[in-house]
Amino acid sequence: MLVRFWGTRGSLPVAQRVETVRGKIARALVAAGGRTFADEAEALAFAADTFDFAAFGTYGGATSCVEIEGADDAFLVCDLGSGVREFGIDAARRCAAGHGRTHHIFLSHLHWDHIMGFPFFGPAFDPGATLVIHSGHPDAEQALRRQQEEISFPVPFDWLRAKISFVTHELGVPADVAGVSVTLIRQHHSHDSYGYCFERGGKRVIYSTDSEHKVDNMESEAAFEAFFAGADLVICDTMYSLGDTVSLKQDWGHSSNVVAVDLCLAAGAKSLALFHHEPTYSDEDIQRMHAETIRYEELVREARPALKVVCAYDGLEIAI
Amino acid sequence: MDWHLSRSGDRLVGRPTGRVDESNWEQFSEALIAAVREAAAAKAALVIDLSGLDYMSSRGLRALTMAKREAGEAVAIMLAGPNPRMREILAISRYDKLFAIIDAVGPEA
Repeated sequence: MLVRFWGTRGSLPVAQRVETVRGKIARALVAAGGRTFADEAEALAFAADTFDFAAFGTYGGATSCVEIEGADDAFLVCDLGSGVREFGIDAARRCAAGHGRTHHIFLSHLHWDHIMGFPFFGPAFDPGATLVIHSGHPDAEQALRRQQEEISFPVPFDWLRAKISFVTHELGVPADVAGVSVTLIRQHHSHDSYGYCFERGGKRVIYSTDSEHKVDNMESEAAFEAFFAGADLVICDTMYSLGDTVSLKQDWGHSSNVVAVDLCLAAGAKSLALFHHEPTYSDEDIQRMHAETIRYEELVREARPALKVVCAYDGLEIAI
Repeated sequence: MDWHLSRSGDRLVGRPTGRVDESNWEQFSEALIAAVREAAAAKAALVIDLSGLDYMSSRGLRALTMAKREAGEAVAIMLAGPNPRMREILAISRYDKLFAIIDAVGPEA
């Protein structure tokens, strides 16, 4: 399996502002110290060796969209955030090279940041494409139709050319989707959200975003530890600090890096991808959160196997 | 984990020693809640002296959260003397923004 992140930001798409880009370039020029480079490749190699990710890259700003490659000639995509536009463009390129045109889309929930990319999803306009939209919500179709009503968007849902169908899944019952076993769990979030477990060939990937874990709900904690058990990768909502989730942002429906590490260590997961980044965070803020999470895992791991902590960014690929 | 609660001037001082982990965090939580209630009845602040703790897992943070909710505005809770490891955990979790952290309980204790 291969996991490819097309959108990793929470709540609202963000873009780099001019002063941010200028700052990155200025720091690079200072660090270069008058060096000259024969070509761009040499400059890129210098920058890659010299700078951290926040200086030499960006975590990106598209909202939730994660592709899981490994199904039988079909695309598997989690959520329709603004990142799905780029995925759609890339999928068209792959279809032109012979890939099948069936897209299985798994919705965590129906809030705006998780469906806002759908009106811009190219394959929805392709008469040769088949879209199967999987959800735990029986009202998923209503949510997608509503955002394309005339008051919100010029192209109505019924003008889309792809063959579109909706599947509402039963919780905890594995379903075979193009050769991949898919299981859902209900999560604590306004109007509910659903986490997904994708399994094939002994590999297990969890997609769990927009999920708040209440400190006094031990039953729920045990259920998530079981759901994450032995996962090769857990993609987890780490939008806020633990302190925020128990105070100011309590009941806002999100989780923290600390809870994500705790659950993954208890579950014996192999790796954790920090996901659904707070839109007000700069690249430096997200990088700091990543470093703190790695350190937290070291502090609390004790005798348990190490958990690898990666930080998702738009464009990241993880081979499972 | 052992727990000892004492009165020191206008403060109650709770002193856990040993470890707080998966096996005993509920005992720690019950002791904290009882201490908060006692402090509220006495109109006293509550200092939790962490200097005798070797280790506190995130279950300890859970217990602190429940104690803070129990305390509401009625009881000020301070954390005293966390070791470097606990101090890092309190910083990473941003619990250092929720609780006042002091270096030591102080001579009046």
